[in-house]
Amino acid sequence: MNLLDVRNLSIELLTNNKPILAVDKVSLTIKEGEVRGLVGESGSGKSLLAQAIMGVLDEKWHVDADRFHWRGNDLMRLSAEERKSIISNDVAMIFQEPMACLDPTATIGEQLEEAVDQQQFEGFFWKKRQQRKLEAINLLHKVGIKNHIQCLKSYPHQLTEALCQRVMIAMALAKKPLLLIADEPTAAMESTNQGQIFRLLASLNQLKNMSILLISHDLENVTHWTNTITVMYSGQFVEAGTTDQIFKQPFHPYTRALIDSSPTANIHIPTKSRLMTLPGSIPVLQHLPIGCRLGPRCPRAQRECVNSPKAKNHQGHQVSCHFSLKGSY
Amino acid sequence: MTDLLEVTNISKAYKLPSRWFKKRYIHALEPISFQIQAHKTLAIVGETGSGKSTLAKLLVGAETTTTGEIKLNGQSLHQGNFKQRCQHIRMIFQDSGTTLNPSLTIQQLLDEPLCLNTDLNEEERVQLIRETLHKVGLLAEHMNFYPHMFSGGQKQRVSLARAIILKPQVVILDEALGALDPSLRSQMINLLLDLQQQMGLAYILIGHNLGIVRHFSDDIIVLCQGQVVEQGKTLNVLNKPKHKYTKKLIMSQQYQLIHR
Repeated sequence: MNLLDVRNLSIELLTNNKPILAVDKVSLTIKEGEVRGLVGESGSGKSLLAQAIMGVLDEKWHVDADRFHWRGNDLMRLSAEERKSIISNDVAMIFQEPMACLDPTATIGEQLEEAVDQQQFEGFFWKKRQQRKLEAINLLHKVGIKNHIQCLKSYPHQLTEALCQRVMIAMALAKKPLLLIADEPTAAMESTNQGQIFRLLASLNQLKNMSILLISHDLENVTHWTNTITVMYSGQFVEAGTTDQIFKQPFHPYTRALIDSSPTANIHIPTKSRLMTLPGSIPVLQHLPIGCRLGPRCPRAQRECVNSPKAKNHQGHQVSCHFSLKGSY
Repeated sequence: MTDLLEVTNISKAYKLPSRWFKKRYIHALEPISFQIQAHKTLAIVGETGSGKSTLAKLLVGAETTTTGEIKLNGQSLHQGNFKQRCQHIRMIFQDSGTTLNPSLTIQQLLDEPLCLNTDLNEEERVQLIRETLHKVGLLAEHMNFYPHMFSGGQKQRVSLARAIILKPQVVILDEALGALDPSLRSQMINLLLDLQQQMGLAYILIGHNLGIVRHFSDDIIVLCQGQVVEQGKTLNVLNKPKHKYTKKLIMSQQYQLIHR
Protein backbone atom coordinates (compact mmCIF):
# COMPACT_ATOMS: atom_id res chain seq x y z
CA MET A 1 0.00 0.00 0.00
CA ASN A 2 1.21 3.47 -0.74
CA LEU A 3 1.99 5.46 2.37
CA LEU A 4 2.29 8.72 0.58
CA ASP A 5 0.93 9.41 -2.87
CA VAL A 6 1.58 12.86 -4.28
CA ARG A 7 0.63 13.69 -7.83
CA ASN A 8 1.53 16.93 -9.62
CA LEU A 9 2.44 18.93 -6.56
CA SER A 10 3.20 22.59 -7.26
CA ILE A 11 4.55 25.09 -4.78
CA GLU A 12 4.34 28.79 -5.57
CA LEU A 13 6.13 31.62 -3.84
CA LEU A 14 3.71 34.55 -3.63
CA THR A 15 5.53 37.80 -4.33
CA ASN A 16 4.37 41.33 -5.03
CA ASN A 17 4.56 40.91 -8.79
CA LYS A 18 4.06 37.48 -10.25
CA PRO A 19 4.06 34.29 -8.20
CA ILE A 20 7.19 32.20 -8.75
CA LEU A 21 6.70 28.53 -9.39
CA ALA A 22 9.38 27.00 -7.20
CA VAL A 23 8.25 23.41 -7.52
CA ASP A 24 6.51 22.50 -10.75
CA LYS A 25 4.28 19.40 -10.86
CA VAL A 26 6.35 16.85 -9.00
CA SER A 27 4.99 13.38 -8.29
CA LEU A 28 6.23 11.21 -5.46
CA THR A 29 5.02 7.92 -4.07
CA ILE A 30 6.40 6.13 -1.04
CA LYS A 31 5.46 2.56 -0.26
CA GLU A 32 5.51 0.99 3.18
CA GLY A 33 8.97 -0.10 4.25
CA GLU A 34 10.67 1.57 1.32
CA VAL A 35 13.77 3.76 1.31
CA ARG A 36 13.32 6.40 -1.35
CA GLY A 37 16.09 8.75 -2.33
CA LEU A 38 15.22 12.29 -3.40
CA VAL A 39 18.16 13.68 -5.31
CA GLY A 40 18.68 17.15 -6.71
CA GLU A 41 21.23 19.92 -6.68
CA SER A 42 20.84 22.98 -4.51
CA GLY A 43 17.79 25.02 -5.45
CA SER A 44 15.96 22.06 -6.91
CA GLY A 45 13.18 22.34 -4.35
CA LYS A 46 13.73 19.06 -2.57
CA SER A 47 13.68 20.61 0.89
CA LEU A 48 10.57 22.59 -0.07
CA LEU A 49 8.87 19.38 -1.10
CA ALA A 50 9.75 17.82 2.25
CA GLN A 51 8.39 20.84 4.08
CA ALA A 52 5.21 20.73 2.02
CA ILE A 53 4.71 17.10 3.03
CA MET A 54 5.17 18.08 6.67
CA GLY A 55 2.83 21.03 6.14
CA VAL A 56 5.14 23.56 7.75
CA LEU A 57 5.26 26.13 4.95
CA ASP A 58 3.90 29.54 5.92
CA GLU A 59 1.52 31.92 4.12
CA LYS A 60 4.12 33.09 1.60
CA TRP A 61 3.93 29.72 -0.09
CA HIS A 62 0.97 28.31 -1.92
CA VAL A 63 0.78 24.53 -2.25
CA ASP A 64 -1.42 22.89 -4.84
CA ALA A 65 -1.70 19.26 -5.85
CA ASP A 66 -3.87 17.01 -7.98
CA ARG A 67 -3.59 14.33 -5.36
CA PHE A 68 -2.09 14.39 -1.91
CA HIS A 69 -2.93 11.18 -0.12
CA TRP A 70 -1.54 9.90 3.15
CA ARG A 71 -2.52 6.24 3.64
CA GLY A 72 -5.67 6.81 1.63
CA ASN A 73 -6.68 10.07 3.36
CA ASP A 74 -6.83 13.10 1.13
CA LEU A 75 -4.83 15.68 3.04
CA MET A 76 -5.85 18.60 0.81
CA ARG A 77 -9.46 18.30 1.98
CA LEU A 78 -8.70 18.20 5.68
CA SER A 79 -8.53 21.26 7.85
CA ALA A 80 -5.17 22.44 9.10
CA GLU A 81 -5.69 20.97 12.58
CA GLU A 82 -6.75 17.53 11.38
CA ARG A 83 -3.87 17.45 8.97
CA LYS A 84 -1.43 18.47 11.65
CA SER A 85 -2.59 15.75 14.01
CA ILE A 86 -2.21 13.06 11.33
CA ILE A 87 1.18 14.24 10.10
CA SER A 88 2.68 14.86 13.52
CA ASN A 89 1.73 11.34 14.58
CA ASP A 90 3.00 9.51 11.55
CA VAL A 91 5.80 11.55 10.02
CA ALA A 92 9.05 12.74 11.56
CA MET A 93 11.87 14.76 10.08
CA ILE A 94 15.57 15.12 10.76
CA PHE A 95 17.70 17.95 9.44
CA GLN A 96 21.21 18.61 8.29
CA GLU A 97 23.69 20.18 10.71
CA PRO A 98 22.33 18.49 13.84
CA MET A 99 24.49 20.67 16.09
CA ALA A 100 22.67 23.76 14.91
CA CYS A 101 19.23 22.20 15.27
CA LEU A 102 19.56 21.14 18.89
CA ASP A 103 19.01 23.70 21.62
CA PRO A 104 22.43 24.73 22.90
CA THR A 105 21.09 25.88 26.28
CA ALA A 106 19.46 22.61 27.33
CA THR A 107 20.93 19.18 27.97
CA ILE A 108 20.25 16.26 25.66
CA GLY A 109 18.19 14.65 28.43
CA GLU A 110 15.83 17.61 28.77
CA GLN A 111 15.37 17.87 25.03
CA LEU A 112 14.71 14.16 24.64
CA GLU A 113 12.18 14.06 27.47
CA GLU A 114 10.36 16.94 25.86
CA ALA A 115 10.04 14.97 22.64
CA VAL A 116 8.68 11.83 24.34
CA ASP A 117 5.01 11.12 23.73
CA GLN A 118 2.90 11.86 26.84
CA GLN A 119 -0.07 9.70 25.85
CA GLN A 120 1.56 6.36 26.54
CA PHE A 121 2.17 6.97 30.25
CA GLU A 122 -0.28 6.23 33.03
CA GLY A 123 -0.42 6.83 36.74
CA PHE A 124 0.29 9.87 38.84
CA PHE A 125 2.70 12.55 37.83
CA TRP A 126 5.66 11.18 39.82
CA LYS A 127 5.22 7.86 38.07
CA LYS A 128 5.01 9.63 34.74
CA ARG A 129 8.29 11.40 35.38
CA GLN A 130 9.99 8.08 36.01
CA GLN A 131 8.49 6.59 32.88
CA ARG A 132 9.52 9.55 30.81
CA LYS A 133 13.12 9.20 31.93
CA LEU A 134 13.11 5.50 31.11
CA GLU A 135 11.63 6.18 27.70
CA ALA A 136 14.36 8.72 26.92
CA ILE A 137 17.03 6.16 27.85
CA ASN A 138 15.23 3.59 25.75
CA LEU A 139 15.28 5.90 22.75
CA LEU A 140 19.00 6.46 23.10
CA HIS A 141 19.56 2.70 23.19
CA LYS A 142 17.51 2.32 20.04
CA VAL A 143 19.86 4.57 18.09
CA GLY A 144 22.92 2.76 19.40
CA ILE A 145 24.12 5.08 22.16
CA LYS A 146 25.17 2.79 24.99
CA ASN A 147 26.59 5.36 27.38
CA HIS A 148 23.24 6.98 28.13
CA ILE A 149 24.16 8.42 31.55
CA GLN A 150 26.92 10.57 30.09
CA CYS A 151 24.91 11.47 27.00
CA LEU A 152 21.77 12.61 28.82
CA LYS A 153 23.79 14.98 30.98
CA SER A 154 25.77 16.62 28.19
CA TYR A 155 25.01 19.67 26.08
CA PRO A 156 24.99 19.47 22.26
CA HIS A 157 28.39 21.15 21.91
CA GLN A 158 30.00 18.42 24.01
CA LEU A 159 29.02 15.67 21.59
CA THR A 160 30.40 14.91 18.16
CA GLU A 161 28.33 15.62 15.08
CA ALA A 162 27.48 11.96 14.45
CA LEU A 163 26.28 11.58 18.04
CA CYS A 164 24.13 14.70 17.69
CA GLN A 165 22.57 13.27 14.55
CA ARG A 166 21.82 10.06 16.46
CA VAL A 167 20.11 12.10 19.16
CA MET A 168 18.05 13.84 16.46
CA ILE A 169 17.03 10.45 15.09
CA ALA A 170 16.13 9.35 18.63
CA MET A 171 13.83 12.37 18.96
CA ALA A 172 12.26 11.58 15.62
CA LEU A 173 11.62 8.01 16.76
CA ALA A 174 9.79 9.15 19.91
CA LYS A 175 6.39 9.08 18.22
CA LYS A 176 7.11 5.84 16.35
CA PRO A 177 6.66 7.39 12.92
CA LEU A 178 5.75 5.45 9.80
CA LEU A 179 7.80 7.76 7.61
CA LEU A 180 11.08 9.44 8.45
CA ILE A 181 12.14 12.33 6.25
CA ALA A 182 15.91 12.75 6.42
CA ASP A 183 16.90 16.09 4.89
CA GLU A 184 20.59 15.69 4.02
CA PRO A 185 21.35 13.91 7.30
CA THR A 186 25.05 13.57 6.55
CA ALA A 187 25.92 16.83 4.82
CA ALA A 188 29.36 18.11 5.86
CA MET A 189 30.12 14.96 7.82
CA GLU A 190 33.21 12.76 7.67
CA SER A 191 32.84 9.64 5.58
CA THR A 192 33.24 7.27 8.53
CA ASN A 193 30.46 9.07 10.41
CA GLN A 194 28.32 9.15 7.27
CA GLY A 195 28.51 5.38 7.12
CA GLN A 196 27.40 5.09 10.74
CA ILE A 197 24.33 7.25 10.23
CA PHE A 198 23.31 5.51 7.01
CA ARG A 199 23.74 2.10 8.61
CA LEU A 200 21.56 3.19 11.53
CA LEU A 201 18.84 4.42 9.17
CA ALA A 202 19.03 1.17 7.18
CA SER A 203 18.68 -0.94 10.32
CA LEU A 204 15.68 1.11 11.49
CA ASN A 205 14.14 0.58 8.08
CA GLN A 206 14.64 -3.18 8.24
CA LEU A 207 13.77 -3.80 11.89
CA LYS A 208 10.85 -1.44 12.35
CA ASN A 209 9.64 -1.40 8.74
CA MET A 210 9.87 2.37 8.78
CA SER A 211 9.82 4.10 5.41
CA ILE A 212 12.54 6.66 4.83
CA LEU A 213 12.67 9.58 2.41
CA LEU A 214 16.37 10.25 2.05
CA ILE A 215 17.11 13.69 0.62
CA SER A 216 20.57 14.32 -0.76
CA HIS A 217 22.31 16.55 -3.27
CA ASP A 218 24.76 13.88 -4.29
CA LEU A 219 23.56 10.87 -6.24
CA GLU A 220 26.60 8.75 -5.51
CA ASN A 221 26.20 9.04 -1.73
CA VAL A 222 22.76 7.50 -1.49
CA THR A 223 22.74 4.80 -4.14
CA HIS A 224 23.92 2.11 -1.76
CA TRP A 225 21.14 2.75 0.71
CA THR A 226 18.02 3.33 -1.36
CA ASN A 227 15.51 1.07 -3.11
CA THR A 228 14.09 3.73 -5.37
CA ILE A 229 15.26 7.19 -6.38
CA THR A 230 13.49 10.33 -7.56
CA VAL A 231 15.64 12.93 -9.31
CA MET A 232 14.67 16.61 -9.41
CA TYR A 233 16.19 19.55 -11.21
CA SER A 234 15.36 23.19 -10.51
CA GLY A 235 11.92 22.35 -9.14
CA GLN A 236 10.94 19.98 -11.92
CA PHE A 237 10.53 16.26 -11.87
CA VAL A 238 13.27 14.55 -13.87
CA GLU A 239 13.24 10.82 -13.37
CA ALA A 240 12.09 8.17 -10.93
CA GLY A 241 12.69 4.46 -10.75
CA THR A 242 14.50 1.77 -8.83
CA THR A 243 18.10 2.49 -7.93
CA ASP A 244 19.34 -0.01 -10.48
CA GLN A 245 17.27 1.52 -13.27
CA ILE A 246 18.45 5.02 -12.45
CA PHE A 247 22.06 4.09 -12.05
CA LYS A 248 22.59 1.58 -14.81
CA GLN A 249 20.26 2.96 -17.47
CA PRO A 250 19.28 6.54 -16.81
CA PHE A 251 16.76 7.75 -19.38
CA HIS A 252 17.13 11.48 -18.74
CA PRO A 253 20.15 13.44 -20.05
CA TYR A 254 20.46 15.16 -16.67
CA THR A 255 20.76 11.92 -14.71
CA ARG A 256 23.19 10.61 -17.31
CA ALA A 257 25.32 13.74 -16.84
CA LEU A 258 25.18 13.43 -13.04
CA ILE A 259 26.49 9.88 -13.19
CA ASP A 260 29.11 10.64 -15.82
CA SER A 261 30.39 13.65 -13.89
CA SER A 262 31.16 11.67 -10.76
CA PRO A 263 34.76 10.45 -10.53
CA THR A 264 33.71 7.91 -7.92
CA ALA A 265 31.34 6.14 -10.28
CA ASN A 266 33.83 6.15 -13.14
CA ILE A 267 36.90 4.50 -11.70
CA HIS A 268 38.02 3.17 -15.05
CA ILE A 269 38.61 6.59 -16.67
CA PRO A 270 42.27 7.71 -16.62
CA THR A 271 43.24 10.02 -13.78
CA LYS A 272 43.49 13.72 -14.51
CA SER A 273 41.38 13.37 -17.67
CA ARG A 274 38.52 15.78 -18.18
CA LEU A 275 35.20 14.82 -16.64
CA MET A 276 31.91 14.94 -18.51
CA THR A 277 29.95 17.92 -17.33
CA LEU A 278 26.96 20.07 -18.16
CA PRO A 279 27.78 23.63 -19.24
CA GLY A 280 26.45 26.60 -17.31
CA SER A 281 25.01 26.67 -13.83
CA ILE A 282 21.71 26.08 -12.04
CA PRO A 283 19.19 28.84 -12.89
CA VAL A 284 18.09 31.15 -10.10
CA LEU A 285 14.42 31.38 -9.13
CA GLN A 286 13.93 34.83 -10.65
CA HIS A 287 15.13 33.79 -14.10
CA LEU A 288 13.76 30.35 -14.76
CA PRO A 289 13.77 29.11 -18.38
CA ILE A 290 10.37 28.24 -19.83
CA GLY A 291 9.44 24.67 -20.61
CA CYS A 292 11.98 22.12 -19.52
CA ARG A 293 14.24 24.00 -17.15
CA LEU A 294 17.27 21.95 -18.12
CA GLY A 295 16.88 23.26 -21.69
CA PRO A 296 19.76 25.77 -21.89
CA ARG A 297 22.22 23.28 -20.40
CA CYS A 298 20.97 20.12 -22.04
CA PRO A 299 23.10 18.42 -24.72
CA ARG A 300 19.99 16.96 -26.41
CA ALA A 301 17.78 20.05 -26.31
CA GLN A 302 15.69 20.82 -29.39
CA ARG A 303 12.93 23.24 -30.27
CA GLU A 304 10.17 21.25 -28.55
CA CYS A 305 11.93 21.63 -25.20
CA VAL A 306 10.29 25.05 -24.67
CA ASN A 307 7.14 23.07 -23.81
CA SER A 308 7.24 21.23 -20.51
CA PRO A 309 7.48 17.49 -21.18
CA LYS A 310 4.98 15.11 -19.60
CA ALA A 311 6.17 12.27 -17.40
CA LYS A 312 6.18 8.97 -19.27
CA ASN A 313 6.11 5.63 -17.53
CA HIS A 314 8.24 2.75 -18.82
CA GLN A 315 7.57 -0.22 -16.52
CA GLY A 316 7.82 1.78 -13.32
CA HIS A 317 10.66 3.92 -14.62
CA GLN A 318 9.21 7.40 -15.05
CA VAL A 319 11.03 9.99 -17.06
CA SER A 320 10.07 13.50 -18.03
CA CYS A 321 11.88 14.34 -21.25
CA HIS A 322 10.94 14.75 -24.94
CA PHE A 323 14.13 13.08 -26.13
CA SER A 324 14.84 10.47 -23.52
CA LEU A 325 17.82 8.16 -23.82
CA LYS A 326 15.58 5.11 -23.76
CA GLY A 327 16.33 4.10 -27.33
CA SER A 328 20.09 4.29 -26.91
CA TYR A 329 20.49 1.25 -24.65
CA MET B 1 62.93 17.49 -12.01
CA THR B 2 63.63 19.87 -9.16
CA ASP B 3 61.29 20.15 -6.28
CA LEU B 4 59.09 23.22 -6.22
CA LEU B 5 58.15 23.03 -2.58
CA GLU B 6 60.23 21.11 -0.11
CA VAL B 7 58.96 20.63 3.39
CA THR B 8 61.20 19.04 5.97
CA ASN B 9 60.08 17.96 9.41
CA ILE B 10 57.56 20.69 10.09
CA SER B 11 55.43 20.22 13.17
CA LYS B 12 53.04 22.24 15.26
CA ALA B 13 52.40 22.05 18.97
CA TYR B 14 49.95 24.26 20.84
CA LYS B 15 50.80 25.23 24.38
CA LEU B 16 48.16 24.57 26.99
CA PRO B 17 47.94 26.57 30.22
CA SER B 18 50.66 25.07 32.36
CA ARG B 19 49.93 23.40 35.65
CA TRP B 20 52.50 24.30 38.31
CA PHE B 21 55.86 23.84 36.67
CA LYS B 22 54.80 21.29 34.15
CA LYS B 23 54.50 22.55 30.59
CA ARG B 24 51.77 20.91 28.56
CA TYR B 25 51.46 20.77 24.80
CA ILE B 26 49.00 19.47 22.27
CA HIS B 27 50.80 18.08 19.27
CA ALA B 28 48.48 19.03 16.44
CA LEU B 29 50.97 17.90 13.82
CA GLU B 30 53.91 15.55 14.28
CA PRO B 31 56.99 16.15 12.08
CA ILE B 32 56.15 15.66 8.42
CA SER B 33 58.21 16.02 5.25
CA PHE B 34 57.26 15.96 1.59
CA GLN B 35 58.17 17.44 -1.77
CA ILE B 36 55.99 18.68 -4.60
CA GLN B 37 56.97 19.30 -8.20
CA ALA B 38 55.30 21.69 -10.60
CA HIS B 39 52.30 20.20 -12.49
CA LYS B 40 51.72 17.74 -9.63
CA THR B 41 48.99 17.42 -7.03
CA LEU B 42 49.45 16.24 -3.48
CA ALA B 43 46.38 15.07 -1.62
CA ILE B 44 46.08 15.11 2.13
CA VAL B 45 43.29 13.01 3.60
CA GLY B 46 42.22 12.26 7.13
CA GLU B 47 39.39 12.74 9.59
CA THR B 48 38.58 15.88 11.55
CA GLY B 49 41.31 16.65 14.03
CA SER B 50 43.94 14.84 12.02
CA GLY B 51 45.92 18.00 11.40
CA LYS B 52 45.02 18.55 7.74
CA SER B 53 44.01 22.16 8.14
CA THR B 54 46.88 22.86 10.53
CA LEU B 55 49.28 21.77 7.81
CA ALA B 56 47.59 24.10 5.33
CA LYS B 57 47.80 27.00 7.76
CA LEU B 58 51.50 26.33 8.36
CA LEU B 59 52.21 26.31 4.63
CA VAL B 60 50.51 29.64 3.93
CA GLY B 61 52.05 31.14 7.04
CA ALA B 62 48.89 31.77 9.01
CA GLU B 63 50.48 29.83 11.89
CA THR B 64 54.11 29.70 12.91
CA THR B 65 55.83 26.35 12.78
CA THR B 66 57.24 24.82 15.94
CA THR B 67 60.03 22.97 14.16
CA GLY B 68 61.09 22.40 10.58
CA GLU B 69 61.69 24.30 7.40
CA ILE B 70 59.75 25.10 4.24
CA LYS B 71 61.76 25.66 1.06
CA LEU B 72 60.31 27.11 -2.12
CA ASN B 73 62.54 26.71 -5.20
CA GLY B 74 65.46 26.00 -2.90
CA GLN B 75 64.94 29.21 -0.90
CA SER B 76 63.73 28.82 2.62
CA LEU B 77 60.61 30.78 3.57
CA HIS B 78 60.91 32.90 6.68
CA GLN B 79 58.30 33.28 9.34
CA GLY B 80 56.45 36.53 8.98
CA ASN B 81 57.72 37.37 5.51
CA PHE B 82 54.28 37.43 3.99
CA LYS B 83 55.20 39.43 0.91
CA GLN B 84 57.39 36.65 -0.40
CA ARG B 85 55.08 33.88 0.67
CA CYS B 86 51.67 35.14 -0.42
CA GLN B 87 52.88 35.69 -3.95
CA HIS B 88 53.80 32.07 -4.39
CA ILE B 89 51.50 30.12 -2.12
CA ARG B 90 47.78 30.88 -2.28
CA MET B 91 44.81 29.23 -0.67
CA ILE B 92 41.15 28.56 -1.49
CA PHE B 93 38.74 27.86 1.33
CA GLN B 94 35.78 25.57 1.69
CA ASP B 95 32.96 28.05 1.92
CA SER B 96 33.52 30.56 -0.86
CA GLY B 97 30.41 32.52 0.10
CA THR B 98 31.81 33.67 3.43
CA THR B 99 35.38 34.29 2.35
CA LEU B 100 34.48 37.04 -0.13
CA ASN B 101 33.92 40.49 1.30
CA PRO B 102 30.25 41.29 0.60
CA SER B 103 30.78 45.06 0.50
CA LEU B 104 33.36 45.02 -2.31
CA THR B 105 32.82 44.45 -6.00
CA ILE B 106 34.73 41.68 -7.72
CA GLN B 107 37.07 44.25 -9.24
CA GLN B 108 37.93 45.69 -5.82
CA LEU B 109 38.31 42.20 -4.40
CA LEU B 110 40.79 41.16 -7.05
CA ASP B 111 42.51 44.56 -7.03
CA GLU B 112 43.52 44.22 -3.40
CA PRO B 113 46.25 41.57 -3.74
CA LEU B 114 47.56 43.38 -6.83
CA CYS B 115 47.82 46.74 -5.04
CA LEU B 116 49.61 45.18 -2.12
CA ASN B 117 52.03 42.93 -3.96
CA THR B 118 52.80 44.44 -7.35
CA ASP B 119 53.68 47.89 -8.73
CA LEU B 120 51.42 47.77 -11.76
CA ASN B 121 49.48 50.93 -12.61
CA GLU B 122 45.72 51.02 -12.68
CA GLU B 123 45.30 50.23 -16.36
CA GLU B 124 47.55 47.20 -16.19
CA ARG B 125 45.75 45.96 -13.10
CA VAL B 126 42.35 46.17 -14.77
CA GLN B 127 43.75 44.38 -17.79
CA LEU B 128 45.14 41.62 -15.57
CA ILE B 129 41.84 41.26 -13.70
CA ARG B 130 40.04 40.97 -17.01
CA GLU B 131 42.41 38.25 -18.19
CA THR B 132 42.16 36.33 -14.94
CA LEU B 133 38.36 36.41 -14.94
CA HIS B 134 38.43 35.11 -18.47
CA LYS B 135 40.77 32.32 -17.41
CA VAL B 136 38.38 31.02 -14.76
CA GLY B 137 35.43 31.15 -17.12
CA LEU B 138 33.79 34.42 -16.05
CA LEU B 139 33.12 37.50 -18.14
CA ALA B 140 34.75 40.91 -17.93
CA GLU B 141 31.34 42.44 -17.05
CA HIS B 142 31.37 40.45 -13.82
CA MET B 143 33.96 42.93 -12.51
CA ASN B 144 31.25 45.29 -11.31
CA PHE B 145 29.16 42.61 -9.61
CA TYR B 146 28.97 42.07 -5.88
CA PRO B 147 29.53 38.56 -4.44
CA HIS B 148 25.86 38.05 -3.56
CA MET B 149 24.92 38.30 -7.24
CA PHE B 150 26.80 35.10 -8.01
CA SER B 151 25.76 31.50 -7.57
CA GLY B 152 27.79 29.11 -5.45
CA GLY B 153 29.85 27.74 -8.30
CA GLN B 154 30.65 31.20 -9.62
CA LYS B 155 31.73 32.37 -6.16
CA GLN B 156 34.15 29.46 -6.03
CA ARG B 157 35.47 30.63 -9.41
CA VAL B 158 35.97 34.15 -8.06
CA SER B 159 37.98 32.84 -5.13
CA LEU B 160 40.00 30.76 -7.58
CA ALA B 161 40.62 33.93 -9.61
CA ARG B 162 41.79 35.67 -6.44
CA ALA B 163 44.17 32.79 -5.81
CA ILE B 164 45.76 32.70 -9.25
CA ILE B 165 45.88 36.43 -10.02
CA LEU B 166 49.38 36.78 -8.58
CA LYS B 167 50.62 33.86 -10.72
CA PRO B 168 51.47 31.64 -7.78
CA GLN B 169 53.29 28.34 -7.93
CA VAL B 170 51.41 26.47 -5.24
CA VAL B 171 47.65 26.60 -4.60
CA ILE B 172 46.18 24.99 -1.50
CA LEU B 173 42.61 23.75 -1.82
CA ASP B 174 41.24 23.36 1.69
CA GLU B 175 38.09 21.24 1.13
CA ALA B 176 37.36 23.56 -1.77
CA LEU B 177 35.46 20.90 -3.69
CA GLY B 178 33.52 19.40 -0.79
CA ALA B 179 30.47 21.61 -0.57
CA LEU B 180 29.79 22.09 -4.28
CA ASP B 181 26.97 20.47 -6.21
CA PRO B 182 28.06 17.51 -8.32
CA SER B 183 27.70 19.11 -11.74
CA LEU B 184 29.51 22.27 -10.60
CA ARG B 185 32.15 20.16 -8.89
CA SER B 186 33.10 18.39 -12.09
CA GLN B 187 33.25 21.77 -13.88
CA MET B 188 35.57 23.03 -11.15
CA ILE B 189 37.79 19.93 -11.37
CA ASN B 190 38.09 20.39 -15.13
CA LEU B 191 38.95 24.06 -14.66
CA LEU B 192 41.59 23.29 -12.03
CA LEU B 193 43.16 20.62 -14.25
CA ASP B 194 43.26 23.02 -17.21
CA LEU B 195 44.92 25.71 -15.13
CA GLN B 196 47.45 23.21 -13.89
CA GLN B 197 48.32 22.37 -17.48
CA GLN B 198 48.58 26.01 -18.55
CA MET B 199 50.33 27.57 -15.58
CA GLY B 200 52.26 24.64 -14.15
CA LEU B 201 50.58 24.99 -10.78
CA ALA B 202 51.18 22.56 -7.97
CA TYR B 203 48.07 21.80 -5.91
CA ILE B 204 47.75 20.63 -2.37
CA LEU B 205 44.28 19.12 -2.14
CA ILE B 206 42.79 18.66 1.29
CA GLY B 207 39.62 16.64 1.33
CA HIS B 208 37.92 13.42 2.20
CA ASN B 209 36.14 12.34 -0.97
CA LEU B 210 38.45 9.55 -2.13
CA GLY B 211 36.87 9.44 -5.60
CA ILE B 212 38.02 12.98 -6.29
CA VAL B 213 41.38 12.34 -4.64
CA ARG B 214 41.93 9.31 -6.84
CA HIS B 215 41.05 11.23 -9.97
CA PHE B 216 42.88 14.43 -9.17
CA SER B 217 46.10 13.72 -7.32
CA ASP B 218 49.48 12.14 -7.99
CA ASP B 219 50.67 11.66 -4.43
CA ILE B 220 48.79 11.17 -1.20
CA ILE B 221 49.46 11.58 2.49
CA VAL B 222 47.11 9.96 5.00
CA LEU B 223 47.04 11.71 8.35
CA CYS B 224 45.62 10.36 11.58
CA GLN B 225 45.73 12.41 14.77
CA GLY B 226 48.64 14.49 13.53
CA GLN B 227 50.74 11.56 12.43
CA VAL B 228 51.57 10.44 8.92
CA VAL B 229 50.06 7.01 8.53
CA GLU B 230 50.81 6.39 4.90
CA GLN B 231 52.53 8.32 2.14
CA GLY B 232 53.10 7.50 -1.50
CA LYS B 233 51.65 7.44 -5.00
CA THR B 234 47.86 7.78 -4.90
CA LEU B 235 47.05 4.71 -6.93
CA ASN B 236 49.44 2.50 -4.98
CA VAL B 237 48.09 3.63 -1.63
CA LEU B 238 44.43 3.40 -2.59
CA ASN B 239 44.78 0.03 -4.31
CA LYS B 240 47.01 -1.58 -1.71
CA PRO B 241 46.49 0.18 1.61
CA LYS B 242 48.93 -1.05 4.22
CA HIS B 243 47.81 0.67 7.37
CA LYS B 244 44.66 -0.25 9.26
CA TYR B 245 43.45 3.34 9.32
CA THR B 246 43.74 3.78 5.55
CA LYS B 247 41.82 0.55 5.04
CA LYS B 248 39.08 1.81 7.34
CA LEU B 249 38.89 5.09 5.46
CA ILE B 250 38.58 3.32 2.13
CA MET B 251 36.04 0.85 3.49
CA SER B 252 33.84 3.65 4.77
CA GLN B 253 33.58 5.05 1.26
CA GLN B 254 33.19 1.69 -0.38
CA TYR B 255 29.47 1.97 0.19
CA GLN B 256 29.49 5.03 -1.95
CA LEU B 257 31.56 3.43 -4.65
CA ILE B 258 29.13 1.30 -6.50
CA HIS B 259 29.41 -2.38 -5.80
CA ARG B 260 26.24 -3.67 -7.31
